[in-house]
Amino acid sequence: MRALDDVSLGLAAGERLALVGENGAGKSTLMNVLYGLYRPDAGTLSVDGAPVVFRSPRDAIARGIGMVHQHFMLVPTLTVAENVVLGAEPTARGLLLDVQAAEAAVEALCARFGFQLDPRARLGELGVGARQKVEIVKALHRGARALVLDEPTAVLTPDEADELFAVARRLADAGTAVVLVSHKLKEVLAFCERVAVMRRGRKVAELKAAGTTPEVLAAHVMGEPPPPPPPFQPATPGAPLLQLSGVCADGPQGRPALKGVSLRLCAGEVVGIAGVDGNGQRELAEVVTGLRPLTAGTLEVRGKPLTAGTPAAFRTAGVGHVPEDRHRHAMVGSFSVEENLSLGRHRVPPFARGPWIDSAGRHAAAVLEMERWDVRPRDASLPMQVLSGGNQQKVVMARELSLDPAVLVAVQPTRGLDIGAVAAVRAQLRAHAARGHAVLLVSLDLEEVLALSDRAYVLYGGRTVAELPRAQFDERRMGRLMLGTEVDRG
Amino acid sequence: MADGRLARALPSLLAVTAALGACFVALAAALGDAGLAAEAFGQMALGGFGDVPRWLSTGDAAAVLRPLGESAGKASVLLLAGLSVAVAFQVGLFNIGAQGQLLWGGLAAAVVGAAVQLPPALHLPVCLLAAAAAGAAWALLPTALKLRRGVHEVISTIMLNWVAVALVENWLVVGPLQGPAGAGTAEVHPSAVMPRLLGESSRLNLGLPLSLAAAAAVAAWLLRTTHGLETRAVGRGQEAARAAGLPVEGRTWTAMAVAGALAGLAGAVLVLGSELRYPGRLAAPYGFDGIAMALIGGNHPLGVAASSLLFGALRAGGTRMQLLGVHRGFPELIQGLALLFVAARLGWAWLLLRRKETPRA
Repeated sequence: MRALDDVSLGLAAGERLALVGENGAGKSTLMNVLYGLYRPDAGTLSVDGAPVVFRSPRDAIARGIGMVHQHFMLVPTLTVAENVVLGAEPTARGLLLDVQAAEAAVEALCARFGFQLDPRARLGELGVGARQKVEIVKALHRGARALVLDEPTAVLTPDEADELFAVARRLADAGTAVVLVSHKLKEVLAFCERVAVMRRGRKVAELKAAGTTPEVLAAHVMGEPPPPPPPFQPATPGAPLLQLSGVCADGPQGRPALKGVSLRLCAGEVVGIAGVDGNGQRELAEVVTGLRPLTAGTLEVRGKPLTAGTPAAFRTAGVGHVPEDRHRHAMVGSFSVEENLSLGRHRVPPFARGPWIDSAGRHAAAVLEMERWDVRPRDASLPMQVLSGGNQQKVVMARELSLDPAVLVAVQPTRGLDIGAVAAVRAQLRAHAARGHAVLLVSLDLEEVLALSDRAYVLYGGRTVAELPRAQFDERRMGRLMLGTEVDRG
Repeated sequence: MADGRLARALPSLLAVTAALGACFVALAAALGDAGLAAEAFGQMALGGFGDVPRWLSTGDAAAVLRPLGESAGKASVLLLAGLSVAVAFQVGLFNIGAQGQLLWGGLAAAVVGAAVQLPPALHLPVCLLAAAAAGAAWALLPTALKLRRGVHEVISTIMLNWVAVALVENWLVVGPLQGPAGAGTAEVHPSAVMPRLLGESSRLNLGLPLSLAAAAAVAAWLLRTTHGLETRAVGRGQEAARAAGLPVEGRTWTAMAVAGALAGLAGAVLVLGSELRYPGRLAAPYGFDGIAMALIGGNHPLGVAASSLLFGALRAGGTRMQLLGVHRGFPELIQGLALLFVAARLGWAWLLLRRKETPRA
């Protein structure tokens, strides 16, 4: 299949361009061609009017192309200055790293573009927003005149995102061309001047941002007008299904990661956990699914204490899990789709007959579920790893929801999915709660927490620092609670 | 499904064919005579699969049955050792210790075969059980070290191989368990010997059907039972298996016990089929050949069976190539090359994937 088909795109100095499209539309492929990671089969690439051939990112960097990846390429144990100069280090006497020159270079760049960064700070101590700025400074240090930002706001709070766009705007005003790759159509229209829409490897539209609405843009992205988002049906909470009080747990390095989490999840509710990455979300999700032991506090599922439970015990008690790291925790990549659909319920009909796998029964059940969830391609014998991220997530959701869990723990359930898949997954989460179950939604995307939750907790520094009913949802205030710059007095 | 299986088997087949072809060319070049090389290959085939032309012209069935018996003897040991490695691979462990487990299995079979008096219908099964238990016990040591202390199984199984050699061959069979005829244990009772299936003209014995049955049983277990599905899930996605509530440690224990038992049975087939006692040193390093069989067979029980049958025949036929002045180690060279091609195929696959991979936006 052709990932890119006859795409032409121009970029002027100081321009702010957006590239939007669903997963698999060819955005990343196009950017990787631009960055020298892939070579096009046909067509040309020109910089400053002269044709160029990029054999590797090194060539692209030399021509002034900079890229800030969704997953940062930084070394946590080095300082900001060391990270910035990594790969293009200034040296003293030809051998030693000239730390002072590096720090001076970073300070000069920060002063010129108005960044607030301490070149001597160790990267591991910085938050996500600051790390992203380090990536940008790194690209600028290498002489980037065109900067590609790949999904830059996926992990930022609203205030951090605003700051990022302010910085990017200053860069553009100073003559740097900025390309924003994003799924978030509102921010695309707010920041960019021009929007290129990709669909199935082709550029299907190019629009001026001024005068375009998110609805019009979504229609271009999907190829059809999007269905209106379903109206929010508030829950009438029933009996408590999951209760945590004073829960503490250690993180992967044995340091305390949860330092007192108390929360309650009732039948019929979607409860969101908002927080900046690294404040205990991962550990919380592992604690409520039995993957991580508690060091203090109590945990009850449907009134039964499960303080020291195994993953199997939590499953039996009715806890389902849609984990954050799908590839590691939710699927076996080399297993077929139907084997993956059966995992966890593979011992019961229709997936098994006694000790034997019931191949026919399993296949029939898998085909039915793939139909219901619109998993493509519709072939249950394909290895799971060849499916796109959205389709893999649908398989995981199908499996977890088929067990009809009283409590579903969903961590970043729509991360990296396209508009269509996001809508499908979100609708299923709401529907699951509406059936009298409860959903614990842990997401780094505040917008998602706000869109789906009946109630939300803010997790900061391993503690639940605020509990807010839907009526009190306020993006800005929650963002500040997430950063610890405001303390809840409610 | 069938297409997928064929697609997975095809690279191994191609690798073996390519290795055979490469050997032919190399041999022709070394001998400076393609005709002679062809004759050497012909002799290898006749020696491995049976001298069919002679059988047809003289009616002498032994011309086919004797070579087949030799091939079967080698193939059955290769197959059991290969299955041992392949089963351990299912839970993600690299069992380099099949050799040590094989030695203990062979010793257990020899001791029970010589020291116990039982009716024939019972004696052989008891010897096989003892061998399987001994092999399994030796395999559980590295498993315990892995699960309790995090010791890497490659290190521990390699070292335990040498411990097994030291204990069995440098002490027990030349010390406490030595038989009347010098180094090695006493000869087993006739009731413990693997019965020959085709009379005296061929050494084909129960070992071959036993090893084929083991391959079929392992295939059924891994591919058709829920226990086997869980076992495979542990090796292919341990974290996912744990999150799905599967007993990861339990499946690791059973798979390693089965792996050790299979290697132990390989030792028993050697001892009860051809040696009839534990000799001072137990023949070729079949435990290490098992690694090659598992890899060439793609860790699939039936793939391991196919590669073991082929290489068993090539090795038995290799002896006949000596008549033409070709070293009898030649089949092992082919085996090494086949393994190299299989390994290279993984490299090619990696390169191809890297080129084609187009991450989604």
